[in-house]
Amino acid sequence: MTAGEPAHAVEETRTTAAQAPPRRTRIGVVIGSGSIKCASALGLLRVLEKERIAVDLAVGCSAGGLYASALALGWDLDMTAQRSQEMWQGLFARFDYSAIVRGLFPRLFGGRGPVGLLDERRLKSVLETLYGETTFQEARIPLHLVATDMKTGESVVLSEGRLQDAARASVAIPVLLAPWPVNGRLLFDGGASDPLPVSVAIREGCDIILAMGFENPLNERVGSLMSLVSQTTYITMNNLLKSTYSFYNAAHHAEIIPIIPTFDRHVGLRDSSLHPYMIERGEEAAVKQLPFLRRLLAAS
Amino acid sequence: MSVASPRQPGGPRVAVVLGSGSVKCAAALGLLRVLKREGIGVDMIVGCSGGSVYAALIAMGHDVDTAEAMTRRLWTRELTARRNHRSLLSVFLPRLFGFDESFGMVDDALILERLKATFGSASIESAGIPLYLTATDFHTGEQVVFESGPIVDAIRASIAIPYVFRPWPIGGRMLVDGFMSDPMPVGVAIRQGANIIVTMGFESPYQQKINSPLRFAFQLSSITSNNLLKSNFAFHNLAHHAEILPIIPEFKDRIHLFDTEKIPYVIEEGERAAERQVPYLRRLLATREESGMPR
Repeated sequence: MTAGEPAHAVEETRTTAAQAPPRRTRIGVVIGSGSIKCASALGLLRVLEKERIAVDLAVGCSAGGLYASALALGWDLDMTAQRSQEMWQGLFARFDYSAIVRGLFPRLFGGRGPVGLLDERRLKSVLETLYGETTFQEARIPLHLVATDMKTGESVVLSEGRLQDAARASVAIPVLLAPWPVNGRLLFDGGASDPLPVSVAIREGCDIILAMGFENPLNERVGSLMSLVSQTTYITMNNLLKSTYSFYNAAHHAEIIPIIPTFDRHVGLRDSSLHPYMIERGEEAAVKQLPFLRRLLAAS
Repeated sequence: MSVASPRQPGGPRVAVVLGSGSVKCAAALGLLRVLKREGIGVDMIVGCSGGSVYAALIAMGHDVDTAEAMTRRLWTRELTARRNHRSLLSVFLPRLFGFDESFGMVDDALILERLKATFGSASIESAGIPLYLTATDFHTGEQVVFESGPIVDAIRASIAIPYVFRPWPIGGRMLVDGFMSDPMPVGVAIRQGANIIVTMGFESPYQQKINSPLRFAFQLSSITSNNLLKSNFAFHNLAHHAEILPIIPEFKDRIHLFDTEKIPYVIEEGERAAERQVPYLRRLLATREESGMPR
């Protein structure tokens, strides 16, 4: 088509549209909230890479956002695994105990709201190293990160701007990390509104959705106010995970393939050394669903 | 007249579900007034958190005025006046004062006493209308549904507001507020075979300013449970063929936890919201009766 032939061009476009082959199946990968366990997503990504299954869209919530962005940015998986392990290791190297005191006596310290237990500077340098000034626009496939509006409780989908900011907001696990302002809204952990945001992949028109999600671990013993707040939040978040997942499954005709790694040992926030184990479990869970995924792809 | 319905077999099964919402739950009495006036019988009542108090009162056959008077005696500001000092100290010195899951800022002796004065030793199974009260297992996060046992215990568990009242042990389980597993337990009515579910629910209010850890904790709890309320309601509406009629009263002002003086107003709004659904409810009852819906 050359310039100066507008009528013809329009005609041609029409013909093409009419004769277009059926749209290629769109595959979305959704990594839900699950703090350190989200590292299992690297196992899923490894399987997708090995099987040469192209992904069209990545969605992440809370810590799942890190791995969704690794997929969307096309990071080398071995390198990502290494960075991920270093990140989790570093995050818990030092607790910001002064935050507890500031949190309990907000007036005394001129507190401006909720604080987090984790060392903010440490996290900032981790995110800085990971993302630098990278923006959503630079991703190879569309990437969406989910956070929650602290004021209205609504789920907020972040799809543009600096990844560093979006990731920080999405991962703001209550008690551990303070909420984070993005575009004038105070945001925190996406798990509080949509822990496994299959909704975003549905909205973006995916036909097959690979969804990896995790329930929050509940404690046998609650020994501090912090752990009581976590337990209380996690109970409702787990119920929310089940509820939203049932709803998405019932409401939509997209194929949702759950990829749920199972752990036969306890994986705590400080168990960064268990990265190889978590990745292996994620890989195993993904491999289990491969025959079904292959059938779906063949049928479409 | 009781709302317990001497209905013909084969007719639709009508359930009333009362979700969490503290003082706002008094709007249930407005709904009760409308149902009585219209002569619509109820086959089961499900209650959660604040709604459990009204579910029990209605199931026991109290009329609107009696139930109102009873709840105004039950629910007053004094309930939270006495702090649980040991629990509060345990926040700062967890080892010394043994912080554990039984944390509650408020001394719960008075609420228990009031519940006993209101419900005595009545059991759930003795209520005139089948009654189901919900709570949440603190260790597994699962919903727990009571269909028998002392009403006082079940309500005490169902209203164990996190951070405020300590969890309540029943049958070896530590139980907390029912809203944490489902703020408006329509699912219970569905499982019990209701065809028409009249349900009342409320979003938990957000903090206007989050300037203390406690407000932050309450805000978290409101956010997660409101999202759960919406998600569960969407799912229940979609997945089941039971007719679900939401009755959502609207309030001009913010109703706070102990605004008991606003109860008459709350009841009025409940009545107004219920009246709006009467024509639809009537049509449903008529068509369901004609078609002889299976029970």
